[in-house]
Amino acid sequence: MTLFGLSPLVLYQLVALLLLLFGVFGFIWRRSLVGMLISVELMLNGAGLSIVASGQLTEAPAELSQLSTLLVMGLAAAEATLVLAIILVVSKRFGSAESENVSELKG
Amino acid sequence: MTEELMAKAMFVLYAVVVLGGGLMAVFSRSLVRALVGLILTLFGVSGMYMLMAAPFMAMMQVLIYVGAVVVLIFFAIMLTKAKTAGEEGGARSKVGILLAVLGMLAPVGIMTYLCLQMPYAFAPGVQPTEVEIKALGEMLINEYVLAFELISVVLFVAMAGAILLGFERRRGQ
Repeated sequence: MTLFGLSPLVLYQLVALLLLLFGVFGFIWRRSLVGMLISVELMLNGAGLSIVASGQLTEAPAELSQLSTLLVMGLAAAEATLVLAIILVVSKRFGSAESENVSELKG
Repeated sequence: MTEELMAKAMFVLYAVVVLGGGLMAVFSRSLVRALVGLILTLFGVSGMYMLMAAPFMAMMQVLIYVGAVVVLIFFAIMLTKAKTAGEEGGARSKVGILLAVLGMLAPVGIMTYLCLQMPYAFAPGVQPTEVEIKALGEMLINEYVLAFELISVVLFVAMAGAILLGFERRRGQ
């Protein structure tokens, strides 16, 4: 399957890069902590897509890439759990879940 | 030939779903709509796993991301009583927009350039083959048993830490 003359591997890598693009942009653009969490999930998902594409569409062992992506998914779930707890504490303590309000040092 | 055409059409469809979902996830004023965009993106990527002959990964993607992570984020939105429109609204400074665009383009531009420079970029590529779930399981209990155990420890620690943080909040009141 080639599209515009590009190999499928590069096509999938470009989609993964698109996800990274949205993730990085959203992480800087968003003001609320929940929005930043959503952007991080986009980035992690792009990483998973890139790893699986590298395993499935090259000579590299495909099992290894799928296991790596499963690990990435597990880490994403653990990270989301912790960030949920942190967001809850922050919103209780500061009254909002916006990144700009969460600062106690003045300067 | 028709299969080839179908594969291309499905790839373009999934790419459009990923693009639309990503745009929605980043630019929506309402966080719930951003979450819907994230779900769209996750389903698009799951379809791409299917196209790459990795149906197990597609299933895990839907189970773990859509089933667990998205529900967690939804809890975060509801429990913090995030304003549906106010938080992300309002004008942003020009410097902020410039920094966001620069920070986005710097890594992605370099990696896209490198990706297109590779010798395999315009080659037809390898035909993907489906991996048996049994092979995955055997690898997990043989060579990669340490990684498998460590990820469960990480998940347990994350869960315990989340509960601890929740309790500390209640004790302070």
